Amino acid sequence: MRGRILIGAAGVLGLVAAHTARAQAPEPYRIGMTVAITGPFSAGYAPTYEAYRTYFKRINDAGGINGHPVAITYEDDRGEPQRAAAAAKKLTDGALLLINASISPTYKPVMTEAEATKTPLLFGGGVCPREAFPPATPLIFCTTSFGSKWDSRMALGFIKEQSAGKKVKVGFAAQDIPLSRVELEFAEQHAKELGMDTIPVVVVPGSAADFTPFAQNLKEAGADWVFSWAPWGVEIGVFEALNRIGWKGSYILYGHQPAQDELTRLKAPNLHALTGNAMFIENLPIHAEITNLVKGQTNHPAHYMAEGWTSAMVLDAGLRKCGWPCSREKLAQALSSVSVDTKGLRGGPIEMTADNHYRKATYYKVYRWDTARSAIVSVGGWSKLDIK
Amino acid sequence: MAQALATTVVVASLYALLAAGYVLVYRASRVLNLAQGDLLTLGGYFLFATAATFPGAPALALPLAAALSALTGVLVYVALMRPMAGHPIFAAVLVTVTLGILLRAAIVFVFTDRTRHPLQQLGLTNPPRPLVGGAVVSTFDLVMVGAAVVLFAALLVFLKVSPLGIRMRAAGERALLASQRGINFHGVFALSWALAAFAGGLAGMIYSSNVRLEPSLGILGLRAFAVALVGGLDSLGGVIPAALLVAAVEVASVRYGNALLSDVSPFVCLLVMLLIRPWGMFGTKEELERV
Amino acid sequence: MATRGSGYFKTSYEADLGLVDTRLRRVTLAIFFLVLLVLPRFASGFVLDLVSQAAFAAIGALALNVLTGLAGQISLGHAGFLAAGAFTTASLVERGVVSPLVTLPAAALVGGVLGFVVGIPSLRLKGLYLALGTLAMHHVVLYMAGEMQARAGGNTGFTIPAPRLAGFVVKGSVTWYYVLVALAALVLVLVVNLQRSRAGRAWMAIRDRDVAAASVGIDVARYKLSAFVWSSVVTALAGALFAYHRGFVSVEAFGFFVAVEYVAMIIIGGLGSALGAVLGAAFVTLLPYAIDGLVAGLGPDAAQYYVFPVKFGAFGLLMALFLLFEPLGLVGIWRRIRNWFVLWPFRHRPLRASS
Repeated sequence: MRGRILIGAAGVLGLVAAHTARAQAPEPYRIGMTVAITGPFSAGYAPTYEAYRTYFKRINDAGGINGHPVAITYEDDRGEPQRAAAAAKKLTDGALLLINASISPTYKPVMTEAEATKTPLLFGGGVCPREAFPPATPLIFCTTSFGSKWDSRMALGFIKEQSAGKKVKVGFAAQDIPLSRVELEFAEQHAKELGMDTIPVVVVPGSAADFTPFAQNLKEAGADWVFSWAPWGVEIGVFEALNRIGWKGSYILYGHQPAQDELTRLKAPNLHALTGNAMFIENLPIHAEITNLVKGQTNHPAHYMAEGWTSAMVLDAGLRKCGWPCSREKLAQALSSVSVDTKGLRGGPIEMTADNHYRKATYYKVYRWDTARSAIVSVGGWSKLDIK
Repeated sequence: MAQALATTVVVASLYALLAAGYVLVYRASRVLNLAQGDLLTLGGYFLFATAATFPGAPALALPLAAALSALTGVLVYVALMRPMAGHPIFAAVLVTVTLGILLRAAIVFVFTDRTRHPLQQLGLTNPPRPLVGGAVVSTFDLVMVGAAVVLFAALLVFLKVSPLGIRMRAAGERALLASQRGINFHGVFALSWALAAFAGGLAGMIYSSNVRLEPSLGILGLRAFAVALVGGLDSLGGVIPAALLVAAVEVASVRYGNALLSDVSPFVCLLVMLLIRPWGMFGTKEELERV
Repeated sequence: MATRGSGYFKTSYEADLGLVDTRLRRVTLAIFFLVLLVLPRFASGFVLDLVSQAAFAAIGALALNVLTGLAGQISLGHAGFLAAGAFTTASLVERGVVSPLVTLPAAALVGGVLGFVVGIPSLRLKGLYLALGTLAMHHVVLYMAGEMQARAGGNTGFTIPAPRLAGFVVKGSVTWYYVLVALAALVLVLVVNLQRSRAGRAWMAIRDRDVAAASVGIDVARYKLSAFVWSSVVTALAGALFAYHRGFVSVEAFGFFVAVEYVAMIIIGGLGSALGAVLGAAFVTLLPYAIDGLVAGLGPDAAQYYVFPVKFGAFGLLMALFLLFEPLGLVGIWRRIRNWFVLWPFRHRPLRASS
């Protein structure tokens, strides 16, 4: 009898202790992220998930931001718009901010849900939508290094420079998703304006088993240069197919996460990767820091983390600025005036304004494989583009 | 024009290798193995695993991967298909669908969704090779065509001439009668599954060295089954003209039509065939009523 | 024990025709009905969502059960019918016609026409070949939906606003719960009645021995086509409901795996039985969440990478196990358990009684 009373009392005390302990634990900043952790496009987006996890684990272990931990709920959408829609519905419940790190077909349902619930939406791994450029939609932000129109302007400028006065014929390889098609149609226009000959855009379905017929179309039309702006699978698939059928021209694509590894694997001197993130071969201090932190913690190697890391840095700065207590409106305001030093991951700082949720200026570098040096080299330094 | 022809032959070889698997299994046990595409993917991943374990030694990695594929075929028969004997055919076909699901889940579990390139670790390269008429194909494109030719020649000789092959054909036609004559038809069925898995795995190994390796390659299997049906599910010889036909339609629809259309063109061929001649170009007519 | 709930003693024709015959069954059904009615008071939005999803799956499973279980026409193109209904709704919404009073009948009409078209090969083909024909049709339907999506929605899919019926907006998990459960119950009653009707008996005759059925005077062609049309109309309506419920329609939600899931539902549940279709639908819908909970419990951090293949693999494994060891499905298991209780302490049914 007495034993039972003692056990009961101990139980009650334990419960009370647990409750007070829980009550004393600081309220977290609640963030939701819908990301393609698995699925055919995961190579470009799962690293964002891993970078965020590692970055904010370090922050939470050190006490959090303004004394409060950051609690991020991740939902795997596998790059499918249907799953992203369900994930967005689930995540906006109680979240200060929603992050989308997935392929562009998932944007429409996620943006609709964010708009309906007045949640700020940060694009942290997928291509920046037009809504983040000036004049920016109030709740849409984007930290991704690549964005429509600016990438094409830079790439075509590079092609013009490299062709050194000769008249070149430029081909374009798009994936059958709207952002890619629209972008490359714009690029075709821009190329004509720059005085280059163009071939109509070749559209490739993302699930194609064999890219050879599409590469054939480009080769037979006589392209000297081909520019591709699409998720990595199509970009590199068309290049490999062109190489297989013995094409002798030059190729420029946007360098997503696998670019560093693939440049090394293919050892093709005619492949150029345009990128906004400095490649890890440059071995800057921030690269070493990231490599040490993610050791053994992530499925993808450290040099895939740049995009997600930069995005996490921007969110970090936004939350610090917001303070505590933070609300959706306050966070949106804080992000609209954030200025982040990227420590060399990008060519310069990321600065957003009320009107410009992309950045005031964006920086690019082009890398290629140098057969003589047997290494990846950058063609020139950082190029700057002002965003107006 | 020559390039289109070359591409057609290469694509047809891939489809032919896969369709051979369908026909072999169908002739033996009247089951349509809808997991053939996933067996292709599995073959590719076996090659990736053996190449990673023995880097730079293709003479060891390639045969080992092929042997593993064949072994998988035997295991599939023993564990899944043999217990389904006596169940309705449709249930057996559904079991192959579940096999495909299981294979795919296992591959993603072990290797994740990342795209892989086994050729890197094998230490081989895939340079382009110009042909007559201005067409250019890659080395492994030629390997694919060569493999299809060699495999079909070997299979036709094996089935027509060798005692084991004749026993296979007998067991496929009348299993009960064959077993009463002393043919170990479980062994023969297991062999047909091993050959089918080998053919699929071989196609997978070559495809993943030529293009890339990712878990979703199983979709190629569905297109190849359209080829098997168009040629006739129980006709090994019918596979080759059917593969050439379907490949030609597909390549033509990319060059002169819509990109999405090329994805669906094998199924259009399948539908047309089902409506006008369900037993295929060279299949036996009574197969239709057998189910 | 054995004398309880035998239900074979009927005193009037009305009693004989009744759907629920014994008092025990009536009481059980009433309790179940009551629980469903008051569930929103106790359960969280998440649980309601789960039940709604299971109810929605049950509608599709019941329709497929009529086609494959009752009429014996094997169909692998179920996802295509769902897509037809969803995309009809989407294209009408795109053109400004938002009211469900127009889109639902339109979806039913499109589904019916598609079912008729898909059913025509069934007059010539049987078994495996029919299944392959329906699979090919599925790809063609998806191709057309994909083209439509590429042209109109620019390949990102269509947003569907919440449906309005006479000023009443169907929104939120509680409203959708009632709507979906009510519709599932309606379809269940329809199917059970169909089973007992002339058409149902004709279908079962065709399923078992179609040559014998023809010789008894059943118009095989007409009933085969009607099975396809009935099933596709209900499935297309389910597809339209899906569009409204999710608020978003895009072609990759209707891949071949969805058709496999529905076939798994009726096989796991028990082919040919309405109760089986419902049980199978509930099982297949709830399985991923059960695995979610299991995986999260075992290893929360690394879980995310493995959740998908584990769910996928578990589904395949369970389907294979049911196909190999329990061909009668969950209904078979249920009947065995029920018989054990009803017959105890006896083991087997007396020879005279039917099961």
